[in-house]
Amino acid sequence: MKTIPPSQAEPKSGQQYWRSMDQLQDTPEFRQWLEREFPEGASEFVDPVSRRNFVKIMSASFLLAGVGLTGCRRPEEHILPFSKMPEDYTHGVSQYYASAYPTRGSAIPLVVRAHEGRPVKVEGNSQIPGNKGGTDQFAQASLLNLYDVDRAKGFTKDGAGVDRTVALDALSKLGADVTATKGAGLSFLLERSSSPSRNRLQKAIATKLPQAKWFVYEPVDFDIHRQAASTVFGKAVRPNFQLGAAKRILSLDCDFIGNEQDAYTHIHGFAKNRKTKTAHDDMNRLYTVEALYSLTGANADHRMRAAASAVLPIAAKIAVAILSQKTGFSSVVQALEPIAAQGKADETWITECAKDLVAGGNHSLILAGYQQPLEVHLIAHVLNAALGAVGTTVSYLPAVEPVKGTIQELATALNAGEVSTLVILGGNPVYNAPADLNWIAAQAKPSTVIRLGYSAKDESFVKKGWNLPLAHYLESWGDARTSDGTLVPVQPLIQPLFGAVTELEVLARIGGLSKINPYDIVRETFSTLEGGDENAWRKFLHDGYLAGSAAKAVAVAISAGNTADALKSAKVLPAPSQNALEVVFQRSYSLDDGRFANNGWMQETPNPITKVVWDNVVLVSPTTATALGVGKFDTAAKTPQAEQGKFYNQVVEVTVGSAKVKGPVWIIPGMADNVIGLELGYGRPDAGRIAQSQLVNDQIVPAGFNVYPARTTNNLHIATGAKLTGLSETYPVASTQEHGVMEGRSIIREANLDQYQKQPDFAKLMNLHPAPISPALKDKGVKEAPSMYPNPLDAWKDKAVHQWGMAIDLSACVGCTACVVACQSENNVPIVGKDQVRRGREMSWIRMDRYFAGDVLNPQIAFQPMLCQHCEAAPCESVCPVNATAHDEEGLNVMAYNRCVGTRYCSNNCPYKVRRFNYLDYNKRPLNDLVGPHYRTPLTATVEGEWAMSRWWKSPEKGWRSDEEWELLKLAKNPDVTVRMRGIMEKCSFCVQRIEGAKIAQKVKARDTDNVAVPDGTIKTACQQACPADAIVFGNIKDPHSEVSQWKAQDRDYSVLEFLLTKPRTTYLARIRNQNKAMPDYQEFPGTSKEWLDRENSFEAHGHEEHAGHEAAGQETKKGAH
Amino acid sequence: MSDIFPKWTNKLPLLIVVGASLVGTAVTAGVWYYFTPKYTRVGYQPKQPVAFSHKIHADQLGLDCRYCHNGVEKSWYSNVPAASLCMNCHNQVLKDDPKLQVVRDSFNEGKPIPWVQVHKVPDYVYFNHSVHVNRGVSCVECHGQINHMDEVYHAKSLSMSFCLDCHRNPEKALRPLEHITDLDWKWSDDPKLNAEKQQAYGLEMVHKMNVQSSQSCSTCHR
Repeated sequence: MKTIPPSQAEPKSGQQYWRSMDQLQDTPEFRQWLEREFPEGASEFVDPVSRRNFVKIMSASFLLAGVGLTGCRRPEEHILPFSKMPEDYTHGVSQYYASAYPTRGSAIPLVVRAHEGRPVKVEGNSQIPGNKGGTDQFAQASLLNLYDVDRAKGFTKDGAGVDRTVALDALSKLGADVTATKGAGLSFLLERSSSPSRNRLQKAIATKLPQAKWFVYEPVDFDIHRQAASTVFGKAVRPNFQLGAAKRILSLDCDFIGNEQDAYTHIHGFAKNRKTKTAHDDMNRLYTVEALYSLTGANADHRMRAAASAVLPIAAKIAVAILSQKTGFSSVVQALEPIAAQGKADETWITECAKDLVAGGNHSLILAGYQQPLEVHLIAHVLNAALGAVGTTVSYLPAVEPVKGTIQELATALNAGEVSTLVILGGNPVYNAPADLNWIAAQAKPSTVIRLGYSAKDESFVKKGWNLPLAHYLESWGDARTSDGTLVPVQPLIQPLFGAVTELEVLARIGGLSKINPYDIVRETFSTLEGGDENAWRKFLHDGYLAGSAAKAVAVAISAGNTADALKSAKVLPAPSQNALEVVFQRSYSLDDGRFANNGWMQETPNPITKVVWDNVVLVSPTTATALGVGKFDTAAKTPQAEQGKFYNQVVEVTVGSAKVKGPVWIIPGMADNVIGLELGYGRPDAGRIAQSQLVNDQIVPAGFNVYPARTTNNLHIATGAKLTGLSETYPVASTQEHGVMEGRSIIREANLDQYQKQPDFAKLMNLHPAPISPALKDKGVKEAPSMYPNPLDAWKDKAVHQWGMAIDLSACVGCTACVVACQSENNVPIVGKDQVRRGREMSWIRMDRYFAGDVLNPQIAFQPMLCQHCEAAPCESVCPVNATAHDEEGLNVMAYNRCVGTRYCSNNCPYKVRRFNYLDYNKRPLNDLVGPHYRTPLTATVEGEWAMSRWWKSPEKGWRSDEEWELLKLAKNPDVTVRMRGIMEKCSFCVQRIEGAKIAQKVKARDTDNVAVPDGTIKTACQQACPADAIVFGNIKDPHSEVSQWKAQDRDYSVLEFLLTKPRTTYLARIRNQNKAMPDYQEFPGTSKEWLDRENSFEAHGHEEHAGHEAAGQETKKGAH
Repeated sequence: MSDIFPKWTNKLPLLIVVGASLVGTAVTAGVWYYFTPKYTRVGYQPKQPVAFSHKIHADQLGLDCRYCHNGVEKSWYSNVPAASLCMNCHNQVLKDDPKLQVVRDSFNEGKPIPWVQVHKVPDYVYFNHSVHVNRGVSCVECHGQINHMDEVYHAKSLSMSFCLDCHRNPEKALRPLEHITDLDWKWSDDPKLNAEKQQAYGLEMVHKMNVQSSQSCSTCHR
């Protein structure tokens, strides 16, 4: 019997729920995407190779295969055991070491897995009190940097390679020379770091070389938080935010969920108060004022879009509303009033928001973004203090006085010829220094330049002078402090791959210190902090943190007078207009400030909001785009930018002062008007093979465009008076946004808190109608329609020890994409390149779906991680002609890669579109073949002067990659997961390797007893482990006490496309929004549920039943309607 | 006309059909048999760099398998011992024997001994030693009577059907844990009695240990 899918009439009020601007407009391009069903190339042959050529090549391949048949016998392989067995090592058992990923002024504590001596996966360290073990996407991807094929592989002097010993001796000699002159003419340019060892060395060297000068530069600098706090409280303190204690949060352009430092801890605290076990649980509420659409905005309950320059007056307005109710702040209010008067905003929004924050009392928290001027930060600190939040939602920790010198001062000194020796430790100033400094010329001035850098020949490569290779953090001894000041070790898991050196060693050598070995330096720092006890040191390394080393909060008292004085100098930037636009420079969610440009995992991780990969784009709001006549809203020009479902975006030129940057325009609803968003980190000309992977007009160019030329000392984060002109050219953009659209069914289910409280099982009410039951079955008393697909699992279910399942809490998920990168790392998911993504061939097993809903000018965003649902009655299985995908006894939908012949029927039959096909041998192609669109064949290509086919023949694993690529990239692979070849279908396996590993470990423990059930919580899938929000839980659904069972028992639990009766093992907990009824932008229903409501549904159970009655004849009750 | 085609050609079509089918059957049968692991693998006995005899060490001297293969209970992999382990005894026993020169060189110079791999499952098979030896499956089930081999050879096919035979009927292979590495151990010398006892014990243990030797793809392929 054919099940007829329920009809899905368009809602009366028009579509409320869309995934892209194209869909909203229902453009022909979008219809094409939608109606095509399969991406290009899946159902027709469009590659430039003709059928005739294809047959030619194939026959040649068969011939070769025939000639080579004799080689099918097993090759002789050797087992090479140790000569002397190392202690505590068992071959084949992975080792885990605690380490930490150092960030600018903090660190993310990690546990790193090493397999046979090579690091293969980083995970958060959950042993640390207050740290649940989540990470961010950068920490996950940092592993691949270790195996970057374009990293520096040796020491150079004046561009020519030199021996390591020669270079290190030269450093020591330099140390002796500068000691003689007490460091006159010596300047250091540093990056920010939280390392106590570096701080100690720096102080020691400063004492020894008093004339040496120190400078620090970060293109994205979070030091402003410390500066503001120190100003407000009159002592050296830095704020530490406890989002977990915050019930009412106001973000003043602060992307604390995405782009701020330590976002992973913020997310953890924030999400904790979004998860509701019952309808009566308390929830936090987030107000956001922001210019771009950030991750924080996407998670806000109320979002005010305002130009970045307008944030200061808006903050002042809110502050006046709050502070005038408090005593002792009259001087501050006085200082604020003129600022507040300079801005315009919805006054009700401000007063109601302020009222709610006051009601929140000491559980309120106000945050200011790093890109905002100091005054906004001052306001945030004053408000927190006035609301009594100090000590609950924010505490102030003693701050280490940082290096004071700025890159501007250094540039001046360089140009004045005051610097004879310049030491650049890390960073990439030629690429990212403010454009007005003309850094490339300044850097060349000193007679001696020494640079410690990670890439082989990047932008800041010193042509005349020394280049030293910088060691990866997994190759270095070091230390760091986390956001709360806890001391964590940076522990190496591998010897530096190319003899690279650490920052500590270079500093110690130049400073002529007695200890130059980084281990000794770190050990000594530890001794000074904690004493010389060897056991304490070993425990520190083992646990990955020093117990009790978290900084003690300092008592602070606000100095209203000082703050008022500081506020008096505040200047409000002019409001942007169509002729004088405002530019906001945004730290990239994928490439940071450019340091991840040569990291394929990050390049291919979609931006959470735009879903663009391999590129940055010029972000504008729909209104601005229309007004300026650029982009897709330019209906007058009638130039379609998508052809056959592909984006060819209009290129625009942004003029900031005298600088011009060019890039494709991208319209994002919800952005402030007359604002341009520019993402940093792209367009690096010399980052390496991954970054250089775009083909434009037959030229190989870097991914994205470089926006640093538009950034000067005075407008590092916000620039005003910019102009935007549309050009006649177009640029191809790859976006994963329109892939796998689900046509407006209630995929994401949301309710406001009060609806949830009234109708706790609203998510189940939103189920669509179940499939009709045939009269014959009905006569037999069958209540529920049988599944379309026979389900062998039912026979095994009761017998098996485990039944695996997953639940994802959409209330907690913030859309940060750490899970996406973690999955890529754990499961050997290849990168495919921009051209392949444009053909709809991205490989990621878990994708982060992003839906816009509601008002086009200020829509809501909802995220949903979508991965294989492991349907009990899986549609993919019944269409596989070779039984390559099947169920196991424990409810996993498994793929046997060796059986797969690549028909792709399974993918076509998957309603969730989560299966991925290897169109090319992504693991065997050289990196410069990522470019496309015409892919070389190994039959005709040569690599390193050798016929590619013969290379492949000699080493089938390596394929036709060059040796240097292969030798490095193979090290990053997880040995427990098959590396898939061309022609194979793949998909999320629920990390079957971890499941089997845990089951085996339990059986080994059980020996001859029957204690074989894996305890709950033992298995964490890679996505679950990485999730800083704890939004994913995995476990045995057969055990009613397991966490996953308890999640699934909640009212909010629902299955996606439940009416197909596929019975997914992955279920979702509906998202709850906590809107404030008094706010002017209060929406009675979340945007995503509006479409469903418009179909005469309601959150009240009875209305629903009525509706079910007139639908589907013969259907009496509606599933879930009781 | 009859001059052109002699009379015997009348039978030609029949002969061709019969002959072709015979040849076809022979080729199919040949490929079928000779391309199986039973033929290609069983009996594989490469020359090893050191003439190490399991017969002497395991059988005559009575060393336990786990003295050398000490990772087998912990790892998926049953390790080949380091030269340092050989030298535990051979720095006293046969310490100048020229046959052990390779071992001494390895120990002194740090170069690994290039043993030739005999037993190997394909790369896409994730076989785990520890779960088998800890749950009552003896070495002998897959490796044969290694303790009687002077030079190791491939005794069983280790094909997918070989694995499945056991996974479908685990009771045939389960034995008391204390006899896991005793490769000669039997319930009884009488084959009939042995089989009966094995069956009874196996079924009891399958129940007692909650053995669910999985036969689904994910058991071995990930």
